[in-house]
Amino acid sequence: MQTVTDTRSEVETETYVSSAADLRTVEALRAGDERAFMELVQTYGASMLRVALLFVKTRAVAEEVVQDAWLGVLSGIHRFEGRSSLKTWIFRILTNTAKTRAEREGRSIPFSSLAPDELELGEPSVDPDRFLPDGERWTSHWASSPRRFDDLPEGRLLSSETMGIVLRVVELLPDAQRIVLTMRDIAGFGAEEVCDALGISEVNQRVLLHRARTKVRRALEDYLEGSPA
Amino acid sequence: MRLADDLSCAELVELVTEYVDGALDPCDRERFEQHLVVCDGCANHLEQMRSTIEVVGRLEEADVGDEMAAELLVAFRGWKAS
Amino acid sequence: MIAYKFLGEGGTARFSRFTWPLPGAGRYGEWVDAHPSVCATGIHACRTADLPYWIDAQLWRIELDGDIVEGTRKVVAERGRLVDRVEAWDTDAKHGFGRACATRADALAGSLPALRAYADDAAVFAEAGNPAVAGFVAARLAELTGGVESYESERDAQVRWLAENLALTA
Repeated sequence: MQTVTDTRSEVETETYVSSAADLRTVEALRAGDERAFMELVQTYGASMLRVALLFVKTRAVAEEVVQDAWLGVLSGIHRFEGRSSLKTWIFRILTNTAKTRAEREGRSIPFSSLAPDELELGEPSVDPDRFLPDGERWTSHWASSPRRFDDLPEGRLLSSETMGIVLRVVELLPDAQRIVLTMRDIAGFGAEEVCDALGISEVNQRVLLHRARTKVRRALEDYLEGSPA
Repeated sequence: MRLADDLSCAELVELVTEYVDGALDPCDRERFEQHLVVCDGCANHLEQMRSTIEVVGRLEEADVGDEMAAELLVAFRGWKAS
Repeated sequence: MIAYKFLGEGGTARFSRFTWPLPGAGRYGEWVDAHPSVCATGIHACRTADLPYWIDAQLWRIELDGDIVEGTRKVVAERGRLVDRVEAWDTDAKHGFGRACATRADALAGSLPALRAYADDAAVFAEAGNPAVAGFVAARLAELTGGVESYESERDAQVRWLAENLALTA
């Protein structure tokens, strides 16, 4: 199991261009360096598979998508100019490949046009009943404080039962929300990288992420408070 | 906070993701943090969101299996030769 | 520049959740650079006038260095180090601060029920040893009765209380 998100580095410093390490890797690939390629595969392969699975139905097809994406990376490597990070570039190829494949299989493409209902505009993140109504001294403040998750008995939050609940909620998310949540919070992509890979605006990316996290939080709260102490 | 700057809890919960991403402008970020100083409810809600992110982050990555890695190596050699 | 910094229980900053290195015998705490470990925008600290807005469990004096930007309610610096703890900011002081806010709120509210409710809130928070909220409520009541000018007056009174009772010099 890997904790991919560093929740402390919250004011992110994105790298928008290739690092020196990226450029060395690109040179190595152009020179036909096998080890450099396999290192790249090990670095990004798992994430690429996970992202591909967000677009296509089966693991077998996702693996084909990843294969095709790598071929795309190799055939395009001489054109790579270092104006984005290598990771961003690779994942843009991957998502394009995945979208093409999904289209061929007749699946709807989550991001081709983000409908207002996918963004769930106007939906409150927290049940309005949790806040004091109009006319009160502290209108719109919490009627009762939510309970923290981090002071639960040891192991409760990360138990296999809790993880099962979370997995289920994530799987049931609308596609666009599930994809952004997975890329940001599981695969550890930065905001800019997700926007580049998926071709969506930063605002929409954040709205989708917020919607997704909100649903998981609510499910966790319901589960953790519903069970006996 | 003055009334003019005030952020209610219902408003704050809509801004949590932007705050955690560092995407709030400095003025809104200060209003957000000012609110947290005086509101346990929102402090707890923010903690819930942070814990949620951490829990989601522990869902496992799919592994790149040996078979797939081997296939990719073959593909690479094919490309190199072309 | 010497300024103030509130930390939570255990010496952890409330927003960055960074645990500050503490001063030791005869020495200041280590210098901490804002980026990358704390916050890309900088180390946040209070001037005396900013204190009521950021109240927390522990109060420290902090030395700031590098580029320093003075904002409306805080100063932001490239790096900082803890100098010493303001020991006077203890449980008694927190209750005292709260009570002073509640007393002023009580006077301001008079007998109007809607306003009395705020004054009662202030008293409850003061009693519970929650100075930050007592101060917030007292300031809110002041604004409701006399607008922004009253708000600022109440906050000024809070600053003066802290400066005098904690013997602040920065």
